[in-house]
Amino acid sequence: MVVGVGAVAVGAEQQAGTGAARPSRREVARRLLASTAALGLAPVVAASRPAPSAGGTGGSSFDETYRGRRIQGVLVPAAGPEADGGEWRITVDGRPLHLMRRADGTWLSMVDHYTSYRTPLEATRAAVDEIGPGRELRDLAPGRLADGQPGGHAHTGGQHGVRA
Amino acid sequence: MAYVRKNVSTLTAGERRRFVNALLTLKRRGQYDEFVRLHIDFYTTDGENGLRTAHMAPSFLPWHRRFLLDLERALRRIDSSVTVPYWDWTRDRTTTSVPWTKDLLGGNGRRSDRQVTTGPFAYAAGHWTLREGVTDGKFLTRDLGRSAAPLQLPTRSELKWALDDPVYDARPWDSTVRKGFRNKLEGWGAGSGSGSWKNHNRVHRWVGGAMLGGASVNDPVFWLHHAFLDLQWYRWQRAHRSHRYLPAEPPGVADDQHRRIVARHEKLPPWDETPDQLEDVSRIYRYA
Repeated sequence: MVVGVGAVAVGAEQQAGTGAARPSRREVARRLLASTAALGLAPVVAASRPAPSAGGTGGSSFDETYRGRRIQGVLVPAAGPEADGGEWRITVDGRPLHLMRRADGTWLSMVDHYTSYRTPLEATRAAVDEIGPGRELRDLAPGRLADGQPGGHAHTGGQHGVRA
Repeated sequence: MAYVRKNVSTLTAGERRRFVNALLTLKRRGQYDEFVRLHIDFYTTDGENGLRTAHMAPSFLPWHRRFLLDLERALRRIDSSVTVPYWDWTRDRTTTSVPWTKDLLGGNGRRSDRQVTTGPFAYAAGHWTLREGVTDGKFLTRDLGRSAAPLQLPTRSELKWALDDPVYDARPWDSTVRKGFRNKLEGWGAGSGSGSWKNHNRVHRWVGGAMLGGASVNDPVFWLHHAFLDLQWYRWQRAHRSHRYLPAEPPGVADDQHRRIVARHEKLPPWDETPDQLEDVSRIYRYA
């Protein structure tokens, strides 16, 4: 089949100007981050599967200095009827590091998105390897933290349209 | 009339300048950073719940095709002669070959902090301040070839391994599938060793710095890399004419991937088009 120029042009044009309709997921995420920070918590990583019970760090927390940076992580047991695993809360020098889970049980971080690691600790150390001297993590938690619909329907509203 | 996307190594001095200037204009207007953000927002992994569109999913190719079209459309509004060039990393494989020249993307990051200090995207040039980075660093970073543990770019034979697979994608439609063109090209392997990064993923790893993280779009090589991947989809289609994007139908309610991937005739967020509509873009552009 053939798609015309017009058809492909539709998406971006329609999204222009709709950004102010309601707070973007990003804004919502930042508010959430602010509120969790107020509670002394790092932002949460909602994993859909139980944490690995063996191998690597094994346990449910870590707190160490790696290459001069304080890295901390804790697995917080999930609450709620739909949660079947737990939530890893990770920080590097006190700044939240967002981890994501692969279907094979390994972990990716925002810093190192194209390689996965066996455990949250390994992924965190690998992130430190890449952060670089004198730089700190920035709050870049993806919007999924806020609306619970990762990559899903929230996007179709157009508030994430690329205005270009 | 379809326009032409060229191999970046064949661009004239004038074409290079106009491509770079259009990118810098987009950045100055604040629009480039919206592309960076969109890519971050759509990075959903397969170990988490929810719809995956951009990565670890069949729609990896149409999602990035559509993303490039948005960028290209924005560039062409600034300069109608501009198209997104592609970087053939099976041919231009060194840290000093194109596109790592001063008149294109600039070179490798310096040893101390991996800051790119040459070319139009160097921080000191004043036109490329990172605002949507993973860290608070304001400058573009690269670690071409990964100095700490060197690796090579994917080879022509590795790319051929992906192109030779006649099936577009296969169950479970994620990063663990070992067959199918899509994941062989996207490049998720087993384990975490060097051998587990293929093609697309391996190139992100090879460039390093910003290209390694969620905000990889901050490095304009992102577009040249994905234009080359987009060309591979076209080549794959030409080589396997009886095969198409899969899955043709959405996984059923009993399937673990129910509502987590985009089937051929489903809309691909955040756009209104379907993979079916994005399979043939020959009316819009072609590759030289």
